[in-house]
Amino acid sequence: MEQRNLYGILAEFDNPKELIDISKEVVELGYDKFDTYSPFPIHGIDKAMKLKKSKLGWIVLGHGILGFCGALAMMYFMSVIDYPLNIGGKPFFNVPAWVPVTFELTILLSAFGTVFGMFFLNGLPRFNHPLFNIERFKNSTDDKFFICIEASDSKFHTDIVLDLFKNAGASYIEEVYE
Amino acid sequence: MSHQPTITDNLQLSADSKLPQILFGIGIIGLLISAYGYFADANQFFFSYLVSFTFFTGIAIASVFMVMFHHITKSKWGVVIRRIPETFGANLGVWAFFAIPILLGIHNLYHWSHEDAVAADKILKGKSAYLNTPFFIIRQILYFVIWGFVGHKLYKASIDMDITGDWGISSLMRRISAPAIPLFGLSIAFASFDWLMSLDPHWFSTMFGVYFFAISFQSFWAVMILMVFFLQRNGYLKNTIGKVHVYDMGAWLFAFTVFYAYIAFAQFLLIYYANLPEETLWFYHRLEGSWKFIAYGLLLLRFTLPFLVLLNREQKHDRKILTYVSILVLIMHFLEIYWIAMPTLSAHGIHFSWIDFSTLIGLGGIFFGMFFQRFKQNSMIPEKDPKLGACLEKSYHQ
Amino acid sequence: MSKYEYIPEAKLVKGNHDFASITHLVTDVNLRRTPTMWYLLMLPANGLLLLLLGSIGYLFWEGTGIWGLTNPVGWGWAIINFVWWVGIGHAGTLISAILFLFRQDWRTAINRFAEAMTIFAVMCALIFPAIHVGRIWVIYWVFPIPNQMVMWPNFNSPLLWDVFAVSTYFTVSLLFWYVGLVPDLATLRDKATDKIRQIGYGLFSLGWNGSSRHWWNYEKAYMILAGLATPLVLSVHTIVSFDFAVSVIPGWHTTIFPPYFVAGAIFSGFAMVLTLMIITREVYGMKDIMTDDHMEKMNIIIMVTGSMVGFAYLMEFFIAWYSGVEYEKAIFILRATGPYAWAYWIMMGCNVISPQFFWSKKLRTNVKFTFFISIVVNIGMWFERFVITVSSLATDYLPSSWDYYSPTIWDVITYVGTFGLFGTMFLLFLRFLPMIAIAEIKAVMPQADPHNYDNNGKYIPPKEKIQSYVKIINSTDNISIEQDNEKITIQDEPKSKTLEPAFFVKPKNA
Repeated sequence: MEQRNLYGILAEFDNPKELIDISKEVVELGYDKFDTYSPFPIHGIDKAMKLKKSKLGWIVLGHGILGFCGALAMMYFMSVIDYPLNIGGKPFFNVPAWVPVTFELTILLSAFGTVFGMFFLNGLPRFNHPLFNIERFKNSTDDKFFICIEASDSKFHTDIVLDLFKNAGASYIEEVYE
Repeated sequence: MSHQPTITDNLQLSADSKLPQILFGIGIIGLLISAYGYFADANQFFFSYLVSFTFFTGIAIASVFMVMFHHITKSKWGVVIRRIPETFGANLGVWAFFAIPILLGIHNLYHWSHEDAVAADKILKGKSAYLNTPFFIIRQILYFVIWGFVGHKLYKASIDMDITGDWGISSLMRRISAPAIPLFGLSIAFASFDWLMSLDPHWFSTMFGVYFFAISFQSFWAVMILMVFFLQRNGYLKNTIGKVHVYDMGAWLFAFTVFYAYIAFAQFLLIYYANLPEETLWFYHRLEGSWKFIAYGLLLLRFTLPFLVLLNREQKHDRKILTYVSILVLIMHFLEIYWIAMPTLSAHGIHFSWIDFSTLIGLGGIFFGMFFQRFKQNSMIPEKDPKLGACLEKSYHQ
Repeated sequence: MSKYEYIPEAKLVKGNHDFASITHLVTDVNLRRTPTMWYLLMLPANGLLLLLLGSIGYLFWEGTGIWGLTNPVGWGWAIINFVWWVGIGHAGTLISAILFLFRQDWRTAINRFAEAMTIFAVMCALIFPAIHVGRIWVIYWVFPIPNQMVMWPNFNSPLLWDVFAVSTYFTVSLLFWYVGLVPDLATLRDKATDKIRQIGYGLFSLGWNGSSRHWWNYEKAYMILAGLATPLVLSVHTIVSFDFAVSVIPGWHTTIFPPYFVAGAIFSGFAMVLTLMIITREVYGMKDIMTDDHMEKMNIIIMVTGSMVGFAYLMEFFIAWYSGVEYEKAIFILRATGPYAWAYWIMMGCNVISPQFFWSKKLRTNVKFTFFISIVVNIGMWFERFVITVSSLATDYLPSSWDYYSPTIWDVITYVGTFGLFGTMFLLFLRFLPMIAIAEIKAVMPQADPHNYDNNGKYIPPKEKIQSYVKIINSTDNISIEQDNEKITIQDEPKSKTLEPAFFVKPKNA
């Protein structure tokens, strides 16, 4: 039989509360390479897992500023520098009339920043993941709650982790291979 | 697992608090000084009075509106702060008394009230079915009857619930609010036409009512934030009104900052773009001389700065920042009404008078004195509201 | 006797559902065999779509002369249909963004559905200005890209603002929709049993695995998108209203247009969502999720926005008189009494009068009546745009150039054809994508709240408040509590008034 690397140990729980409890325990024990999986965002799990604030806001802000300045610069170049046209006796640099386009482009770029920034931060798309080898993990998008401690964690030890999950009342435990 | 919220705060402003008396004192002194101003410069006095009067009345109307909005949406978030706007609204009936000087000064304020001027002006003649003194007075009475009645009813129902604990009253409050909202919408619009738009009787804008609503609502939230912080500084409601509730108020202030900018800009853009002489003149006067400084100041300090500062989530519940922003918004609100009204009096530039400030302080003293007088009679929150529990224990998903 | 009854909030999901049954309920629609009914509906939808394509093809061949446009009325059905469809397209983003910011959890039942409707409605809308340009082959002139004229677009033109606004709106709505879909596509991927679906859904779910670290960024992104989409959705119809309002045409140039158009858009959009929702939930058996309570809430919004539209009509009318401008006055009188009075009164009846029926609780909880009104409202909103566009142009400054406008058969065919496009897209959506946001609806179920479990991990439905309420009134016997705490009726006043609800304990303060 070919040798496969251990990716981590996966445990299944039945409800969000148990997942929060086990996350707290795992954090307390000092693991940091672990993740929990649930069919919907669980309220309060960020605190249990001690997640850091998302950096997404800054990405969006950057894109928003780019959209705002870019829109104004574009219009300034096109309507004032490159081909100024007198329209309705208004000044070439017609700020009130440029507000709509500036606004729309700011929003457009910010939205791009939000969506693609979120996927970037999450490392998606990623079509292959060791957890996808586990048949039961399919329930993570339905009604089951999973936690997986990765083997690369410095504190990882198969027996200890197995014990930890068993004592926490996991309904199912499996070793995950890459 | 039970997690029942408990309130450990003192919910009663102490009965022997001298605050109302102090505020009444300030108010009366301010008004007496302003009365002297009447003899010094009657035109100036009435214009200053009108600015301060619309400043405070707008906030009180917005209060009732917010309470009604709260009831019909069956909201949970605002239960702990609801008693404050309820109290502002309950005073609206008595506040009608302070509309009387505007009726007395109608000739000083409103060009259309001079019959000879109307006779010589074809356009004003066309409007005289609406813009005439008797109808103006009738309308003022009508507005305050509506506002005073609804404000009082909602306050009374809420106090009744405090006493009886009858949750059914929340259905009553919804039943009052639903038909009152369209009434308020119309009366606010027409009141703003009467008080401010008809100062320049040739000018017109269909948006003006919405615009007045927007500026009043933005400053209403500023008042709410400052009021809550003031009470908490004095040791009240410290644990009852938590971070999430402060955040909500910050978010509302932010939302109305954006809404204000939207309405004000749309009104400006449409008039600026179409450039029709009968409309642009109003903005033309307000963008020339030193008036333009207020106009640009509004753009920068009433919208841009609060918008940028409150954009960040953290800063929406930062008490220091909220305090500064709220004060700024209130100053700009005063200046905005000033900028709407005063160019009629002094077309060529800003000309601040001491009466502007004495009326502001005078009416402000009375306004808040009346508020605290009533506020100390009852609990600071609707104690037995069915949604109070949910409001206290709330925490957000985001 | 207490005169009023207290009605606690209804449960968001009716019936006895857990997470698994919700997943099954929603995904089964996509995974089971295609019902024959679907094909039967697809047939007319495709037929109309072909009609649309044919009429557009003929238009390209012949030019806009095939439409009923005349000399004073240069904007006819095309602009009316554009504004109408864009207006309908406002409800989706409103539901997903604004109601999200207001923490209205009931939105989760209908947001996916409404967003899909938005996207398809905007697609229908975008057709009209595009084909109206006449020379479709130079449509790229509207974008700021170098062209053979060496000119740039006119950034002072509201029509150009429209290009930016509507295309931005379409893009952002699509992104918003897709972001919401990703976790649900992952659910479908995991539930699918055949290879094609697994690969198809797997591809579009981008390898989503429900990691809490991912959810953390995801929720932030959703929040920000909602924050961005809220001003965006207001701006779009605002800019559409600028198309009219920056001009000097009487009846078009009025400052209340931006908020008035937005209110009208929400009004018609919600009506359209209701029309579709009432049919869909019946056909697919989704009544547990899309409940009558949702319908009632939406009816209230329809009533409010309808009244706002009425408020705007009144303001326009009053200010037209107040302004003292001859032409302003004339156009409003002409609208009500002139050649298009019939359209005006249809508009008034459908938009201002019909939503007022919803003041009655009985009517706004009646499914059939709601369905009827939802269609009436959209007829009314079409006529509103007709009245604005046509009457102002047909009877403007110079009476000598007045002319009566009537559409040709091609106007009608193109408009009817867009229903084919809309219907086709919507049927495809119902067939292949989850019509309910599965992950979001699970997150608002009481089972999702970790607080609702005891120490042994057993789920306890949140009944504390109801129980504590029973405590106060247990001395009265004429009280009925329905099983799933949907409604409590108290005929009698609580006898022991002084008792406070038990969940709220206020210690006496020293």
